[in-house]
Amino acid sequence: MKRTLSILALALTAGLAAPVAAQDFAANSQAKPWGLTGEQKARFEARVVDVLCELSGDCPDNCGDGARQLGLVRSADDALLIANKNTQPIFSGAVVDLLPYCGAAVEVDGLLVGEMEPKRLFQVQLIRRAGEEKFAKTNLFSKAWNEKNPELAKVKGPWFRKDPQINALIERDGYLGLGLETDAAFIEEEFGE
Amino acid sequence: MPRLFSIMAATALTALSALTPAAAATPERVQVTGEIIDTWCYFSGVMGGPEAVVGSAHHTCALWCAAGGIPVGLLTDEGEVYMVLKLASDDVVGSNTMLELQSDRIVADGLVYERDGLKYLVVEEVVSNEGITNLNHEDYGPVPPFAIPDPTAQ
Repeated sequence: MKRTLSILALALTAGLAAPVAAQDFAANSQAKPWGLTGEQKARFEARVVDVLCELSGDCPDNCGDGARQLGLVRSADDALLIANKNTQPIFSGAVVDLLPYCGAAVEVDGLLVGEMEPKRLFQVQLIRRAGEEKFAKTNLFSKAWNEKNPELAKVKGPWFRKDPQINALIERDGYLGLGLETDAAFIEEEFGE
Repeated sequence: MPRLFSIMAATALTALSALTPAAAATPERVQVTGEIIDTWCYFSGVMGGPEAVVGSAHHTCALWCAAGGIPVGLLTDEGEVYMVLKLASDDVVGSNTMLELQSDRIVADGLVYERDGLKYLVVEEVVSNEGITNLNHEDYGPVPPFAIPDPTAQ
């Protein structure tokens, strides 16, 4: 009996410690391809974390309330992935989409990105709490921007053309960031007749 | 019987360590020099090769991405990227201080945490800032091309 228990314990220990790098996280993924560098579909269970809290133990309430970068600690191998992008076409990260899940066990679907191996950057396309049936699309950034800027939301055009913080910097430093004079000369050369 | 309990306890501890997050790591103090970049465009290739999605060519896009909450990085001359998680007392997502540094070449003093192959930087002080030194708009134009609105189209 004792011998049987020892063998069982050893087997369980070995199983838990076994590397999971070879796991195929693409199984069952419904992620849409984007044609990105090193792109790999991946669907996995994870915990949503404030990355700085996870690394340093400096942990404000609610994962920093949207001011901190969020990540995913993958259940299968305890690897920390940084959530780099949501599923909206351009210029929007995943913080707004992941924040409601701060600290929660979730399942995510999306794309591992980049040439590095193993890959640690993740574009989150879909997310659901553990046990939930329906995935949510990660497309909340523009809606959150509109709620924060209700007057500008009524103006035609994408958020990034209207954002006051961005526009103040462009008005001061130009599109190239090199000053208005350099900008004007470049624009003349680029677009002038 | 005590042996049985020992085995069970060891097994339980191993299982527990696999399920709980890693304890806070000990950071390394560093001083690093490099350009503040948009990590999504740099790693994903969505807007072009890595030489095109840095510097003055990509400055406006870097502002858009930082304001949109995409992680900002510090790219060293050796090609290493540190993901920036804090800038002095400021958190980084959409912060105006972070936007002010986009595309600039800086010397940063701070703490580095390394986990699972990525380096994360807590900037305690920007020791110096040379501004934008990579004038690659001369080679690539604006990246993406629509970053600068065409005045003749308005």
